[in-house]
Amino acid sequence: MTAQRLKWLGVAAVAAGLGLAPVLLKFFGGLFWINVIAEILIWSLLAASVNLLLGYVGLLSFGQALYFGFGMYGVAIGISQFGLGLWPAFFLGIAAATAMAAVAGAIAVRLTWHYFAIITVVFSLIFYFVAMSAKSITGGDDGLSFSAPPLWKAAGWLLTDRTVQYYFIYLVCAACFTGMAFLIASPLGMRFNAVRDNEQRASLIGINVYYTRWIAFVISGLLAGVGGALFALFGRYASASYMFYHVSGEAVVWAIVGGIGSLLGPLVGTALLILFRELVSGLWENYLIAVGAFVILVVMFAPRGIVGIFSDLVEGRDRRKADARAALRNLAEAE
Amino acid sequence: MSPVLEVADLLASIGRVPVLRGVTLHVNPGETVALLGRNGVGKTSTLRTILGLLPRRGGRVRFNDKDLATLAAHQLSGEGIGYVPQGRGIFGNLTVEENLFLGLRHRPDPSIPDYIYARFPRLKERRQQSAGTLSGGEQQILALGRCLMRSPRLILLDEPTEGIMPKLVNEIRREIAAIAGRGVAVLLIEQNLRTALRLASRIYLMEKGVIVHEATPQQLSADPSTVHRYLGVSL
Repeated sequence: MTAQRLKWLGVAAVAAGLGLAPVLLKFFGGLFWINVIAEILIWSLLAASVNLLLGYVGLLSFGQALYFGFGMYGVAIGISQFGLGLWPAFFLGIAAATAMAAVAGAIAVRLTWHYFAIITVVFSLIFYFVAMSAKSITGGDDGLSFSAPPLWKAAGWLLTDRTVQYYFIYLVCAACFTGMAFLIASPLGMRFNAVRDNEQRASLIGINVYYTRWIAFVISGLLAGVGGALFALFGRYASASYMFYHVSGEAVVWAIVGGIGSLLGPLVGTALLILFRELVSGLWENYLIAVGAFVILVVMFAPRGIVGIFSDLVEGRDRRKADARAALRNLAEAE
Repeated sequence: MSPVLEVADLLASIGRVPVLRGVTLHVNPGETVALLGRNGVGKTSTLRTILGLLPRRGGRVRFNDKDLATLAAHQLSGEGIGYVPQGRGIFGNLTVEENLFLGLRHRPDPSIPDYIYARFPRLKERRQQSAGTLSGGEQQILALGRCLMRSPRLILLDEPTEGIMPKLVNEIRREIAAIAGRGVAVLLIEQNLRTALRLASRIYLMEKGVIVHEATPQQLSADPSTVHRYLGVSL
């Protein structure tokens, strides 16, 4: 079996496993875990937004929580202040995040490397403080609670039903990851790749580096925004504290641990670290020390993350074959 | 006939060190011109300054009577300038086919990929293979092919035969000749005198950031002392 096919098999297995999770958990009597998985799925979108920029375009953003926050507040304010239904509020949140990313990106992607990282932090800090101080609108640190309108009134689907809520989140996330898979394989995805590998070369074959980065930034903001919008609906709550750059930093760690530049890496990293937190934080309050040590080990010994270890295994086999063929061919040419 | 590329009194420096001190040259449509010189005389810097990768401190660069200073790097290929950097500049992670089609704004004339694949059956065979697994010579040919995809009017080549196994050098020379045969002008940077003599219709010799001599291959072949003086080789 080729590496490519094995990879898609892995993706399909993860998708099927997550799709069946409520059924399985119900059967084993652990439905409590369904909300943990739902939360993992939501946060994995934030990690995926980091991954899109870092893994595919080569830009490290420490400000993705800003777009997460815009998605979150779009929903919360849409429902609690404007009295919108669930879907209009959901799309308002996504639109707000995307618009914010379009504006911030236009400025940020002029820079690269640490300058880019710094300006993304600055943007998110500005709006973090704005959200903190605009208490009448955002609720500041205390946050904003609301009750979610029904998902589908006629069918009586409510987010308070854990299974309904889980499938809503699951399907939205599945759509996002599917979209990302298509994006990566598209001509635009190739351009992302080229810009990441060598921007000068890329521009000399006619790729507008600035525009390509900006598009990636906007799409990445959209992903984070979807995550934020789901998060608001999931907790029926929004708080400025989720816009802090710690949240952005956590997403960077999740993405790196899972595997930068792979579709499901962010999901794996997020799952691993959130599960670790759920399991260990109750037993040991300084569990973050263990997380830190683990992250250092991953960065040192598996720079392509957990998923990278597996793809190295399967791709390594294919690559060795290809290398052997290439070496034979070059020898034949030299004869 | 006005030249496709006209460079006049080009000045450039890296940091405070001047690397180009008034380079003047031109390339006529469909013509292959070689720029020869020893290591470090400013050949690559000339190309990079023409393309705007090195800031221009003075002088003019006109392509089809358009000042190149007004164009961004990514607009050059659309204007008809192809560039194959030293070390080939393909994207190793992408497949051969993805490399060829990368960054194209419009579907190219389908005869071009057909032409490329017909000329290089090996690229066609390895179309779905990542370009990083190709041999150096194949990568060079892929880079040339990628330039052709954009139907350029001028291709800038930076030492295309450098580091290629001798057997493939001839093949690459043949391909450059074939490109020129399609009416594309070529500005070829070389250290290899033989390549320049075979391909170019005019040769510029460069030293210390200026053009010091211009000759046809015939004139240069008949002038061993000039060759020895500027290139340090004997014919």
